[in-house]
Amino acid sequence: MDRTERLLDLVALFLDAREPISWAELRDHFPQDYRGTSDDAAERKFERDKAELLELGFPLTYIQGDDERKDGYIVDRDAYYLPEVDLTKEELAVLYAAGSAALTSGAFPGRDDLSHALRKIGFFAGDALPTPRVRMELGVEQDGPRLAAYLEQLWSACAARKWVQMTYGSPKRLDLSERRVEPYGLALRRGIWTLVGYCHLRQGIRTFHVHRIRTLKVNSSRPRTPDFEVPANFSADDYVASYPWQHRFHERVEARLRLTGELAPRAASLFPGAHVTPAPEGQGMLVTLPVTFLDGLLRFCLQLGPDCHVEAPDKAREDVAAMARRILEKHGEKPASSEVPT
Amino acid sequence: MSVHERLRRLLFLVPYVSSRQGITVEELARALNVSREHLLEDLDLLTCVGRPPFNPDDYIDIYVENDRVYVDLDQRLSAPPRLTVGEASALAAAAELLRPAAGDTLRGAVEKLERVLPPGAGARFREMYRKIDAALEAPEALGPLTQAIHGRCEVTFDYAAPGRGAPEPRRVRPLELLSHRGQWYLQAFCLTREDERLFRVDRMGALSLTTTLFQPREGARAEVPNPARRDADVRVLFTPLVAPYVRERFGEDARLLADGSVEVRVAGDNERWLTQWVLSFGGEAEVLEPASARAAVARAAKAALGV
Repeated sequence: MDRTERLLDLVALFLDAREPISWAELRDHFPQDYRGTSDDAAERKFERDKAELLELGFPLTYIQGDDERKDGYIVDRDAYYLPEVDLTKEELAVLYAAGSAALTSGAFPGRDDLSHALRKIGFFAGDALPTPRVRMELGVEQDGPRLAAYLEQLWSACAARKWVQMTYGSPKRLDLSERRVEPYGLALRRGIWTLVGYCHLRQGIRTFHVHRIRTLKVNSSRPRTPDFEVPANFSADDYVASYPWQHRFHERVEARLRLTGELAPRAASLFPGAHVTPAPEGQGMLVTLPVTFLDGLLRFCLQLGPDCHVEAPDKAREDVAAMARRILEKHGEKPASSEVPT
Repeated sequence: MSVHERLRRLLFLVPYVSSRQGITVEELARALNVSREHLLEDLDLLTCVGRPPFNPDDYIDIYVENDRVYVDLDQRLSAPPRLTVGEASALAAAAELLRPAAGDTLRGAVEKLERVLPPGAGARFREMYRKIDAALEAPEALGPLTQAIHGRCEVTFDYAAPGRGAPEPRRVRPLELLSHRGQWYLQAFCLTREDERLFRVDRMGALSLTTTLFQPREGARAEVPNPARRDADVRVLFTPLVAPYVRERFGEDARLLADGSVEVRVAGDNERWLTQWVLSFGGEAEVLEPASARAAVARAAKAALGV
């Protein structure tokens, strides 16, 4: 018998059973599957089937009999059937908008899980399913299909807590490196997916842009046994930068900016989490923020234009002026370069 | 297609048809995201499924008639299985994409998801869904805008277009929200400008939904223009220091030069955007041509120096 068919037969059998079903009865019901081989082989086969059913969320348990009941396998029907999720219209709309957008982005971990989940929460909604038009472009365009496949593998590895072996290429280095990583989690920042995990090569927690992974293999031995524990206090946010000045390249310094003109009312949204106060004498808004990558902040400030004034520390003022001078030198009167391509 | 995936689909398919008797093959295939051929194979398989002792009434009775699907005997597959931890986690993590725009609603939804997990799976769910951190810093305006798109009602807001000084009032018909590289945009028909426009959500203020309804045109789709175009008129040179990152973003549109620098051609129809973009490389990028774009960058650098 086809395995899918046998598993569905088992589901139908257990859902209809009024009392526990013993192993002997199961072998009688499925003679071709659980009888034709040795006892050991038959039991192993049923164990594999049972594991598959449990993974599907089928609450199959073995109970020891007593005076009232015999020994055997039984399923808790109430624990199997999906009850009404009872979502409000707004809650369904949020889950649908985000879930569908993540799914169609082509780059979101757990896509199979996500599509099944969306179907299930929509099961009781009849024709009232919302279709808000929200779309997300996630990840790096150059690596669409590969990125999606790696995210899926990493999602499985995170869930099962299995280490991964990968070849990683950083733009900072010409050569590729081989890494064994215990994946703790995935973070999305400004359209870029980052893997956070314990790197055996560096002996510490490191971050990896998923689109820079060249090959990826999840440890396939003992798939149901976790390879590692995730530290109890772990949070991906402690390791992944949301903004260019948050990359953890240097010691933390405090920077102060003053925003004037049309930038002043946007201070809080331009620098989320920063301390924003009105500057004295109506001279715009003061923004104070912790910085671990000063160049990242200064480039962002240059981009904002002359209404963004870097005030402190002194090094930041000097560096941003040096950057501006360099840009000015480069864009002086000179002919266009005519280098020969490689 | 793994056995696991197919089983998940089939355990959903039977109750889904049961609750929607007469659904067309096409609609069912779309709902399950499978081809018509795969669906018909699934239906064939299901007719062989039943429970011992496999008498005629012990089989699932599912059939197609006039291209519509019916179930007469579902063999107790009357509702789908509960959400698995993986399914609920993936959905909750995806929903985080809309935080904080949907803060309270999101919290309520996630609590309800946890309630429909198998008994005892709550702790595992909470641990799992935090393995994806998709905080996109979705702006607050996303909530009402989603509502307006869904309700097809016009909205008004003050829009701070860069370089235009004070924000200007706009009235628009919202069509689609798009997140691109972490930035949120609204594609809308602007009644003020009488044209379709792309608005950055973070530049909107005083957003308000009106009671005026509209019929959106079919196929409205926001497009964030890719600045790299081989036939574009602006040539930008990047130093070897930043070249690897530029190549990573632009792929084959970035031309590698002998000294390790790269050249990219970009559209120059938005001088302000181009200038800001070049400045954001802090001296590692240079506009080679045209002269007007070089001059614009030079002017911006002078302004930064207070010259």
